[in-house]
Amino acid sequence: MNGILNLSSSPHARDKWSTAFIMKCVLAALLPVTLVGIISYGWNALLVVVLAVVSAVLSEFLFDKLTHRTDTWKDYSAAVTGLLLALTLSPLVPWYIPILGSVFAILIAKCCFGGIGRNFINPALAGRCFLMVSFSSQMTIFPVDSVSGATPIANLALGRAVDITRMFMTGESGVIGSSVLAILIGGMILWAFDFIHGQICFSVLGSFTVILALFGGQGFDAGFLLAHLCGGGVVLGAFFMASDYVTSPVSRLGQFVYGVLIGTLGALFRIMGGSADSFSYSVIIGNLFTPLIDTYIVQKPFAYRRSALRAQNGDTRPWYKCPGTLAKVYLYEKGYKRIPGAVKTLMLIMLVTGLALTGAYYLTKAPIERQQEETRRLAFREVLPDAVSFVEKSEYDKAISDKAGAPWDKEFGASYVNEALVGVNEQGETVGYVIGVSSKDGYKGDAIRFTVGLLSDGTVKRISFTELNQTPGLGMQADEEPFKGQFSDKNVDRFVLNKSGSSTSDEQIDTITNASTTSSAVVNAVNAALDFYREVIKEGAANE
Amino acid sequence: MKKTFRGGVHPEGHKELSRDCALKAFDPKGEMVFPLSMHIGKPAKPVVQKGDEVKVGQMLAEADGFVSAHVFSSCSGKVKAVEDRRVLTGQQAPCIVIENDSSFTPADGFGDERDVDALSGADIVKAVKDAGIVGLGGAGFPTHVKLSPKAPESIKYVIANGAECEPYLSCNDQLMRTKAGEIVSGLKQMLRLFPNAVGVIAIEKNKPEAILAMQAACEGAEKIQVWPLNTKYPQGGERSLIQAIAGVDFPASKLPADFGCLVENVGTIYAIWRALRYGEPLFTHTLTLTGDAVKNPGNYIVRDGTLFSELLEQSGGIKEGVTLKKAFCGGPMMGIALSSLNVPIQKQNNGLTLLTFDEVEEAEKITTPCLRCGRCTTVCPQGLMPEMLAEAAESKNYKRYEKKLYGLECIQCGSCAYICPAKRPLTQIFKHAKAEILALKRAEAGGKK
Repeated sequence: MNGILNLSSSPHARDKWSTAFIMKCVLAALLPVTLVGIISYGWNALLVVVLAVVSAVLSEFLFDKLTHRTDTWKDYSAAVTGLLLALTLSPLVPWYIPILGSVFAILIAKCCFGGIGRNFINPALAGRCFLMVSFSSQMTIFPVDSVSGATPIANLALGRAVDITRMFMTGESGVIGSSVLAILIGGMILWAFDFIHGQICFSVLGSFTVILALFGGQGFDAGFLLAHLCGGGVVLGAFFMASDYVTSPVSRLGQFVYGVLIGTLGALFRIMGGSADSFSYSVIIGNLFTPLIDTYIVQKPFAYRRSALRAQNGDTRPWYKCPGTLAKVYLYEKGYKRIPGAVKTLMLIMLVTGLALTGAYYLTKAPIERQQEETRRLAFREVLPDAVSFVEKSEYDKAISDKAGAPWDKEFGASYVNEALVGVNEQGETVGYVIGVSSKDGYKGDAIRFTVGLLSDGTVKRISFTELNQTPGLGMQADEEPFKGQFSDKNVDRFVLNKSGSSTSDEQIDTITNASTTSSAVVNAVNAALDFYREVIKEGAANE
Repeated sequence: MKKTFRGGVHPEGHKELSRDCALKAFDPKGEMVFPLSMHIGKPAKPVVQKGDEVKVGQMLAEADGFVSAHVFSSCSGKVKAVEDRRVLTGQQAPCIVIENDSSFTPADGFGDERDVDALSGADIVKAVKDAGIVGLGGAGFPTHVKLSPKAPESIKYVIANGAECEPYLSCNDQLMRTKAGEIVSGLKQMLRLFPNAVGVIAIEKNKPEAILAMQAACEGAEKIQVWPLNTKYPQGGERSLIQAIAGVDFPASKLPADFGCLVENVGTIYAIWRALRYGEPLFTHTLTLTGDAVKNPGNYIVRDGTLFSELLEQSGGIKEGVTLKKAFCGGPMMGIALSSLNVPIQKQNNGLTLLTFDEVEEAEKITTPCLRCGRCTTVCPQGLMPEMLAEAAESKNYKRYEKKLYGLECIQCGSCAYICPAKRPLTQIFKHAKAEILALKRAEAGGKK
């Protein structure tokens, strides 16, 4: 009683919520999606999750011990990072992938920048991007769609149909955390109990949908939009990555701006970009803008907001009954300042540059097209020197478009027929045909593109490469006369690759030494052109 | 009719400990200590000397200037000393010490009923000033100053603050239940000063008995209404009440009277009624003794100058088998922590909370850096952004703190520090920053001279 009691500055009470409690709740909210992932993909998935979580917590523990910091590993935030990272991985990744990812996420992205509360990008996403850059081939082995091996987003990019219901229920994107339904359950609970800010999650999803609808080329087609929303981790990103406290702005308007930025970027990357998992990058870019948003978007206290200033003068109209445009009045009501001058100047510069670029594009569009046409014609002339002009024919175009981007015939591997034109001489007589083909069977799957010139009787006149990205010194020899000259002036049904010694008949084509992959791809593509000639051109001529 | 303000928190009430304990008068036996500064403003000047005999209700010190208040004796006995004693802020402050003879012989000049309606407006203000009444809600602002605004006719609301939003405290609840008639009479007298004003009795909904009692007492009084408010801290803050009732937010540089509002605690209004009706100066007020360490929690009518330790001992003391860990004068949100209970009760004190646990100590063990979760921004009743303020204050960027983030608008209600999951001492940071900014400003002003 006479001892000195504890002193403290008021308040002397504290809420029950602590950092550890919030992190535990986030873990609990991630439980449904983790469970669905483990049930769908089995022990592999469980192993990836356990490895990622354990190595994340362990690396934070070691960092704390080595640097003599307070025990931050106990606050469950490292476990959340590890689990989030695991959810973005395929269950088939090698064992070292989740470990390396977690260690990078915790040590480099989080601890090196000051630990919890100080990291400038979401550690889990940083870990994932590190893995994508360093181990791209191991990262893209997905347990889906055994035929094409493509994820739904890759299929969408190729314009193929996807099963939205399956994507929604169990997820098909091939990563552990791909069940949209389970993510939504956890995310909505977090939002309902005020753990995450609705203005971030919903502005991300909303702006993503709107931009896709406006610029995705398929309008407000529900199937298309839902497929994009359900794939590629958009929902996981919106509810669990973008809404990460540390790397998102603090003010409500700031959070909204941040969400729209991420959603817009994500949608644009989907439409224009080549990467299927571009959403990670849009969240990271949003993270990087957070300090800027927090510097400029600061809310005023209630007493300095417009409605309060009016009320202080006895005017108690609600804000929507006051003059001015709605957006402007709303922003003033919420106490945000005017757009700073620097931002206005930047926006003006961007507008002027954009207009200038657009103008330049339109002015140069016609000459560039003429130029390209001329180049194409020259290539055609090279393979069919007798022709002076080349005309398109609707039957050929129809036969090509009927394939809808698929290989010409399975017989020839991944060989594609891209265009076919009739070569005409000065008298208007048909002297032959040019057929543009391409192959994806080359080394590393890089595209091989070339044009085949055929005389009217089906004799190969010449072939000429328009695109060839093969190994220098090996595959690149395909564009040299000893190889490509073998096709010239031969009239055969089908070429055959001869891998031993010099060829003895017209059909046989000697392979390029140590580049049989490229050689076979070229031969297959030429055969596809010959097949096209027989199936389409000759048939058409016979029918006439 | 708005029910509440924006923001705010819901701390656990713990009012069940004492809310149904009837008010009991407490007469101390030991020595009494009267600090000369039990109000905001200049300390009072002593008018007694060592060795003087004093009686209950006799003036010990008189107000020094307009913003100041008289100090009255609450006991009879002999002045033992006029010296520095420790007061509840932990500082040594000038006090008048009286040897209590425990007879409580009243002084002359009060106790007889007066015809209050015969008093003029000026008489009312004078009676309040003479009674040394200060705001009993906690701040202790001299009431006669509040009752003399520049333009009395511009006052639209006279708000009787019975919200009592601090956890644990229940003395205003009991006062409203038992003295409803007196409070309404006092409010009616105050309304005579302000011809265009209506009286509003604001009570949080967690006090249904008090609401019913006040409604019954208001029956027939046209200009007075009971306004039930949602239970939320800091509902009883002056600005929160004005926001809820008059719908006005105003900056820290302005006074409630500038926007037609006047807020008085129900305890103050009761004291005003006693002063007008009986000429009784302010030397008693209500106080809640509560907390899980207290054997007999209850609501008491205590005399100023009683030592907290005496109140505790005479009322039963600490529960057997528990250790007292934390004590604060007032509630846990804005109360002042006491290192020792050997300090006198002042006019504006309304509670003594004694706890066997210390939440702040526990919280300090799990403090983490700011997560930027934004919960403090959500709960701030002033619409500030505490996490940004704390960042600016810690990096001593006082320009951003004051100009861009309006840090001096902080009312130090403690909501942000309460809600913070990282357990950061936000309110403490703001108190420190405010003191530092004001010191810098004073230094600057001094330098210019």
